[in-house]
Amino acid sequence: MAAAEPKPSLVERLFADHRGALQTFFLRRIRAKADAADLAQEVYVRMLRIGDEEAIRNPVHYLYTVANNLVKEHAVLDRRQASGIDIDEAPAFEQLETLPEFDGDLDATQRLARLGVVLKQLRPKCRAAVELRFTHGLSYREIATHLGVSPQMAKKYVAQALGHCRRRMAALG
Amino acid sequence: MNSNEEQVRAAIAEQAGEWFVANDEGPLDAHDSAALAAWFKTSPVHVEEFLGVSTIARDLKEARTDPEYSLEAILARARAEEEFAIQVLGSRDSFAVRARPSRPWLAGAVAMAASVVLSLGLFSWWNVRHAAQPPGAGSITELRFETGHGEQLSRRLADNSVLHLNTDSAVTIRYGKTERLVTLTVGQAVFEVAHESDRTFRVLAGSAEVVDIGTKFDVRLGQNSTVVTVIEGRVEVGLSPMGEKLGTNSRQPHPPRFVELAAGQQVSVAEGEWPATPIAVDAQNTTAWLRREIVFDHEPLERVAAEYNRYAPKPIEIATPALRNLQITGVFVTDDTEAFVAFLRSLKGVRVEVTPTRISVSRD
Repeated sequence: MAAAEPKPSLVERLFADHRGALQTFFLRRIRAKADAADLAQEVYVRMLRIGDEEAIRNPVHYLYTVANNLVKEHAVLDRRQASGIDIDEAPAFEQLETLPEFDGDLDATQRLARLGVVLKQLRPKCRAAVELRFTHGLSYREIATHLGVSPQMAKKYVAQALGHCRRRMAALG
Repeated sequence: MNSNEEQVRAAIAEQAGEWFVANDEGPLDAHDSAALAAWFKTSPVHVEEFLGVSTIARDLKEARTDPEYSLEAILARARAEEEFAIQVLGSRDSFAVRARPSRPWLAGAVAMAASVVLSLGLFSWWNVRHAAQPPGAGSITELRFETGHGEQLSRRLADNSVLHLNTDSAVTIRYGKTERLVTLTVGQAVFEVAHESDRTFRVLAGSAEVVDIGTKFDVRLGQNSTVVTVIEGRVEVGLSPMGEKLGTNSRQPHPPRFVELAAGQQVSVAEGEWPATPIAVDAQNTTAWLRREIVFDHEPLERVAAEYNRYAPKPIEIATPALRNLQITGVFVTDDTEAFVAFLRSLKGVRVEVTPTRISVSRD
C-alpha cells in the first residue's frame, strides 16, 4: 500500500513536519482552547498590575472577573477568526456565577464522571463534607452536625477534599 | 511532573482549598483579603490551583440532581464506610496517627469487634476468628484481611497502628501480650506502626522478617524475594526464622541476622542472598499505591505492564517483543485504564488494541 502512494510534495512534507508547531502557534493566538496554565499565567500578570487597595475589597471577585474577561476576549477573537466578523465589545463581565471554562478539553459530563472516581479516593467523611457543601449547599455548621465533627473540622475536610480532587483531576489530564 | 514537584503542587492545592472555603463562608475581612491578594500575587501556580479548585466546586453543584449525590446516599456512605475507607495518606495524616495516644488494648479490641460488623465495601471481605488458645496465653484474636484484584483497603488496628493493603494481598494479624505479629501471606502492605515500648511489632513476609522501631514501612512479597522499604523511622530486617531453618541446618556463626534500615532505604530479602545491602530509593514511588498511583521513572514497558496488571481489570500484553524495553516515565492512576491506554496511544510508533479481554500493545 505504501509503494503505490505518490511521493509527498515538499510542501506536504514541510507541513507534516511542522504541523504540531503550526497548530500550537494558531491555538495560542485564537485560543480555541483556553489552556489552564496559560490562563492562570495571564490572570496572574493582570493581578500583579493592580494596586492592593483595589483587590483587597474582594480578591476572589477580582480574580474571577479577570479570568472571565480573558475567556471572553479569547472567545471574541475566536469568533472573529472563524467568521471574519468584527465584534466591537465583549459583553459586560458581571456574571460571576459563571466561572471561566478552566479545564480546556473536557465537557462537564466527562469532568463529572472523573470527579466521581476521584471522590471515591477520599476518606468517607471528607468526601461527604465536600459533597454536602456543594451539591446541597449545606452550611459548614450543618455539615458538622451531620458528620458529628466540629464546624472547624468540616471546613478542613472540604478544603482537603477540594485540594485532593484538584490534583487528582490534574493528574488525569 | 516528578514526585517532589507534585508534593509542592498538592500543598498549594490544599492551600487553595482553604482559601476557597474561607471565602465560601462569606466575605473575607480586610486582613484576610489582603493576605489572599498577596497569595495570588506570589505565583501563577496559586492562581491556577485556585481556579482549579473552583472548577471542582462548580462541577459538584452540577451533580445536584444525580441520585448518586442525594442527601441520603451521601450520608449513608459516610456512615457505612466510616472506619473503613481507603485513606489517602498525606504525611500529615500519618503524623496524626502517631500523635494519638494509644488506646488500651481491651477497649481497642472491643471497638474493633464492633466495627467489623460494618461492611467493607463491595468486594472486600474479612473474617475474624478466635484462634485455638495456647495454654496460659489468654485470648488471642486473629484477624485476617484480604483484598481481591484491583482492590485496596486501609484499617486502623486496635493499637492505633494502620494497615494498608494493596491489590491481591492478604495478612493475618495476631496481637499478644508481648508481641504484635503480622504475617503477610501474599501481596503488598504498608504498616504505620504505633510504637509500644513493651510490645514489638513484627512482620513476617516470605523469607523476610521485619521488626519495627516505631515507623512506617512497605513490604512487598515477590516470587523470589521480599522487598522492604522504609518511609519513616527505622526498622530491622532479617531472614525470617522459617527462612533460616530452611536455609542451613547447622547453627554455624551467622552473619548479622538483622540489617537496620532508615527512611528512604530499601532492601531485598531472599534466602541464600543474605545479608543484603540496603539501597537508597524514593519511598514516595514505592508507596504511590497508597494514593492509587503507579509511578514510573524510565522503566521498561515490560515492567510497567506487569505493574499495571496488578490492578487492571484486563491485562496489558506486549505483542511486539521489541517494545518490552521501551522506556516509560509518568504517573498513572491504578484504576483509570482509559487514561493509561490514551497515554500508550500517544507514544510514537505504538499501536494499542483494546478487546473485551485484553489490551494489546504492538508496533505501529
